[in-house]
Amino acid sequence: MSEPADTTAGAAVIEVEDLVKEYRGSDGSRVRAVDHLSLTVAAGEMVGLLGANGAGKTTTLRIIATLLRPTAGRASVCGCDSQADPVGVRRSLGYISASTGVPDRLTARELLTSFGRLNGLTETEVNSRVEWLIDTLALGAYADRPAGRLSSGQRQRISLARALVHEPPALVLDEPTNALDVVGSRNLLETLEQLRGSGHAMLLSTHRLHEIEHRCDRFVVIDAGRVVAAGTRSELVGAGRDLEDAFFRAVTGGASS
Amino acid sequence: MTRPDLTTTAAASREGPPVPGHWLTTARAVMAFQLSRLLTRPRLAMALIGALFPPAVMFAAIRTAPLDRNMAVVMIYALIPEALCVLGLLVTMCPVVADELERGTWIHVAIRPGGRRSLLLGTFAAAVLWTGGVAVTGLLLTLLIAQPTQPIGLAVMFLALIMLSCIGRAALFALPAVILPKRALIASVGVALVVEYLAGFLPAVVNQVTVSLRLRSLLVEWMDWRRELPVEMTLFVDTYSAGVQITAVIILVVVLLAAACFILNRRQFPPSAEN
Repeated sequence: MSEPADTTAGAAVIEVEDLVKEYRGSDGSRVRAVDHLSLTVAAGEMVGLLGANGAGKTTTLRIIATLLRPTAGRASVCGCDSQADPVGVRRSLGYISASTGVPDRLTARELLTSFGRLNGLTETEVNSRVEWLIDTLALGAYADRPAGRLSSGQRQRISLARALVHEPPALVLDEPTNALDVVGSRNLLETLEQLRGSGHAMLLSTHRLHEIEHRCDRFVVIDAGRVVAAGTRSELVGAGRDLEDAFFRAVTGGASS
Repeated sequence: MTRPDLTTTAAASREGPPVPGHWLTTARAVMAFQLSRLLTRPRLAMALIGALFPPAVMFAAIRTAPLDRNMAVVMIYALIPEALCVLGLLVTMCPVVADELERGTWIHVAIRPGGRRSLLLGTFAAAVLWTGGVAVTGLLLTLLIAQPTQPIGLAVMFLALIMLSCIGRAALFALPAVILPKRALIASVGVALVVEYLAGFLPAVVNQVTVSLRLRSLLVEWMDWRRELPVEMTLFVDTYSAGVQITAVIILVVVLLAAACFILNRRQFPPSAEN
């Protein structure tokens, strides 16, 4: 297993280098979903991965999370290569998707306890960690209620707690606010900002550009699997109106809206 | 709303995420997780119906005509280690694995260290425990109704057959569940019919890899029926000792689970799989 990487502020925690992913189409042809994509996310940094539907965002995030194998190139988390050391990556990564995957019948406490055990925490560690997450993420009011009776926002907060149960230094978030209302979405993003402040590296994809415009440190815009623009908000927006405008310009090759 | 204080989780001050637990510990966590998901009213009702089915059939048979001990044993064998265990595992093993593979929960387990293997083994253990529990309940009720001579000896023998049936069939159904998750139940029914009840009764080498041959052979061995068996029936049982039959089932289970784990570890999860 690889040596633990430096997770002090500024050090690259998530690294994607020249990544290529091809799927086989139904007619046997090869479809390239990710095309020589590179990016890094440092400790204490929140990077927004932006792109239209089918641009390759979820595929990229799933390769980082070891759910998919790249056709070429590499992805690593905390210095662990997703191919050579997937267990190292999984130890260091929390993953959240739009589909929360929180079973209806289980309570937050039961779910977090199960996943804590699954991550190799001892019973004492599981209990204290679950209590800490319930307290810190303000899940107390509904921690013992079956998830089927909770709102989308509450389920997504449980999903975030599950992603954090093993204290990963890196988080990959695939459209985490997709099913949330304004309050739930804002609440979740504020929590993510707090996590950034505590040194977590975060790579986040979303279509709701206005929500993350002033929250992310940098943005990577992709189209057809390729990076078409990257930089801070001010670098991308330039003389334009806002991030959405900059995004539109990037994916349409500068065509005016 | 109060903003949460997350500063105590400073990644820089942490010693690192926990080392992955032993696979037995993590599989046990998944088993507890799956069992807690099985404890629903519909599933409990289904389990109760399953447990009551063999004693009900036995009761009906006894009321129709008196059964001798051997006939009662054959009926119990057909009803419990064969029918009830196979049906119970079809209901628990393949849909649970398939649901995990095709729905959102799975990816959150798959990205845990050892998550895929733990998911399969934990689900396997949960299915065996659940189905075994139903089968044992059914067995005890059936023995109460049949009231055969030497009931303790029969109970011990059938407990062993139920255990072997459950682990063998659960491992067998794990394969179609990971290979064809979208058609897991249909594929498992196909496997049960073709492998267990067609190949298992063929007097050829292929029946050596079936659980049904091992269970039948064990029944004949333990009931000491080998000498009384009609010549044509000897084609459907194996001549090796009970120890060999049990070892064969265990080897089969290990090979099938290893194959299922290998397939799962190589499985990819494209975005379309979550839809």
